[in-house]
Amino acid sequence: MVFLARLGAPVRGFLEFLGDQAHLVLRTLRHGFSLRSGQWAVVGAQTKLQIRFTGLDAALLVGGTALLLGAVTLIQAFSQLSGLGAENYIGTLMVLIILRELGPLLTAVLVIGRSSTAIAAELGAMQLNGEVDALAAHGVNPYQYLLLPRWLGALLSIFALVVFFDGAALAGGFLVARLKYGISWGFFLESVRQALSNLDFAATLLKVVLFAGAITFHACHFGLRIRRSQTEIPQAVTRTVVSALVAVFIIDGLVAALFYF
Amino acid sequence: MIQIRGLEFDSPEGRLLMEGLDLDVRRGATLLVSGASGSGKSRLLKVMAGTERPRRGEVRIAGHLVWPGDGALSLAGRVRMGFAFAAGGLLSNLSLEDNVALPLRFLGLPPAEVARRAGAALERLGLQPVAKLRPHAVSGSARKHANLARVLALEPELVLLDEPLEGLDAADRALTQELIQAWAGDPACTLVVASEEAQALPGLEADHLQLAPAPVPLECPRPSKSRTPAWGSSSSWPWRSSWACWWRRTPAP
Repeated sequence: MVFLARLGAPVRGFLEFLGDQAHLVLRTLRHGFSLRSGQWAVVGAQTKLQIRFTGLDAALLVGGTALLLGAVTLIQAFSQLSGLGAENYIGTLMVLIILRELGPLLTAVLVIGRSSTAIAAELGAMQLNGEVDALAAHGVNPYQYLLLPRWLGALLSIFALVVFFDGAALAGGFLVARLKYGISWGFFLESVRQALSNLDFAATLLKVVLFAGAITFHACHFGLRIRRSQTEIPQAVTRTVVSALVAVFIIDGLVAALFYF
Repeated sequence: MIQIRGLEFDSPEGRLLMEGLDLDVRRGATLLVSGASGSGKSRLLKVMAGTERPRRGEVRIAGHLVWPGDGALSLAGRVRMGFAFAAGGLLSNLSLEDNVALPLRFLGLPPAEVARRAGAALERLGLQPVAKLRPHAVSGSARKHANLARVLALEPELVLLDEPLEGLDAADRALTQELIQAWAGDPACTLVVASEEAQALPGLEADHLQLAPAPVPLECPRPSKSRTPAWGSSSSWPWRSSWACWWRRTPAP
C-alpha cells in the first residue's frame, strides 16, 4: 500500500497540474472571446508591452546565437564531410538541423530563460502584493488583463523570433560556405529551397503555437500559485523553467514524430 | 445588496475563522465589521468581494451568485464594486493616475470621461502632485488614499473598505472620514467598513458586526498543499480546527 501511495501521489499531482493548465487555457480563451471593443485598447497595450519584452529585447540575443549556430553547424559538417562533396548537402543540412529542429527549439529555450521566468516572478509578486485581487475586485478580469496579453505577446514574439533565428542561422551558414567553397548566394538559397517542403512550414507553425502556449501557461500557473511569502518566488521560477523545458522537448518530439516519422 | 448564508472560511494558515454566518445588508445600508487583529475582518471582506474562496456557504451580491461560483469574475460588468485594501492592492508598474484610471478604461468609458473622473478623484484626495509617480515612490498614506481614489472614481454601488484609517495622520484621517460619511449618506451606495476599533468612526450610522478574537492555535496548523487563486481551480483546505467563531449584530456605539 505504501508503495502504491508513493506511486500515486506524483501521478495525481501531475494530473492535477494538467487539469490546472487546461483550466487556465480554456478560461483565458473564453474570457478572451468575451472582450468588448473598449477593452481591446487596454489588452492591446499590454500585448505590445509583452512583445517588447519577449520579442524585441531578445532579438539581438537570438540573432547572435543563430548566426554562430548556423556557422558552427556548417564548419563541423564540412570538417567531417569534406571528401564527400559536402557543398552539395548544404541546403539539406541547414534545413534538417537548423530550420526543422534547432530554430524553434533553441528560440523556445531562450524565451523560457528570459521571459517565462520574468512572467512567473512578476505574477507571483503581484499575487503577494494583492494586485491580482485588486484587479478582479474592480472589474478588471485577470484572465483578460494578465493572461491573454502574455499569451498573445509570447505567441507573436516567438513566431517573429523563430523567423529571425532561421534567417540569421542561414546567414551564418552562408558566410562559412562562401569562405570555404566560394558558393554564391543564389546557389545557397536554391539549395535550401529545394530541401524545404510545405511540411516544414506547417511543423514550425504548429511548434510555435504549442511552444508559446506551454511557455506562457507554465509561467502563469506557477506564478499565480504563489500566495504566502516572497520565498516562493524563486521556487516558482525554478519550477517554471524545468517544467516548461520538459514540456517544450516533449512537444518537439511529438511534432517530429507526427510529421516526419 | 449582500446576502450571505451559512458562510464558513479559514485563515491563510488554515484555521477556521468563521462558521455559520448569515448576513443581509440592504442596498444603501452601512455595515461596520469590527474585531481584534486576526479575527477575520479582512478575510470576510475578501470573501464578499469574491477574491477569496470560502470553505462553505453562499454569497450573493445584488442577486448575483459570487460563491459558490466564479467569485469576483461573476460581478465584472454587472456590479460596480470598489475595494480599498488595508495594504498593497495598487499595481506597482503603473502610476497612481493609471491605477485609478485602469478600472474605468476597462469599463469601456471614453478617454475624456476616464481622465475627468480620475482627475477629480485624485484632486479630492490631494494626490494631484504625486499622480504621475508609481506606488513605491509615494508615502504609505498616499498609497492608502490612492486606493480610495480608485474606489471613488469608479462611482461604485458597493464599497468595501479594509482598515481605512490605519496609519494615517490627523489631516488624512479627517479626509478619509469625510469620504466614508459621504458614502454612508449616499442611498445608492452600500458601504462595508472593517475596522479594529468601532470608535474610530464616530457618528457613523451603521449595523455592527463584531467578530470574536481568534484564539492562539495550540499546535502549528498544517498549511494547505496548494493554494490557487480564488478564480482559479478549487483550492483544498485539509486542516480544520474545532473552535467556532461567533458573531452578533448590535447598533453602532
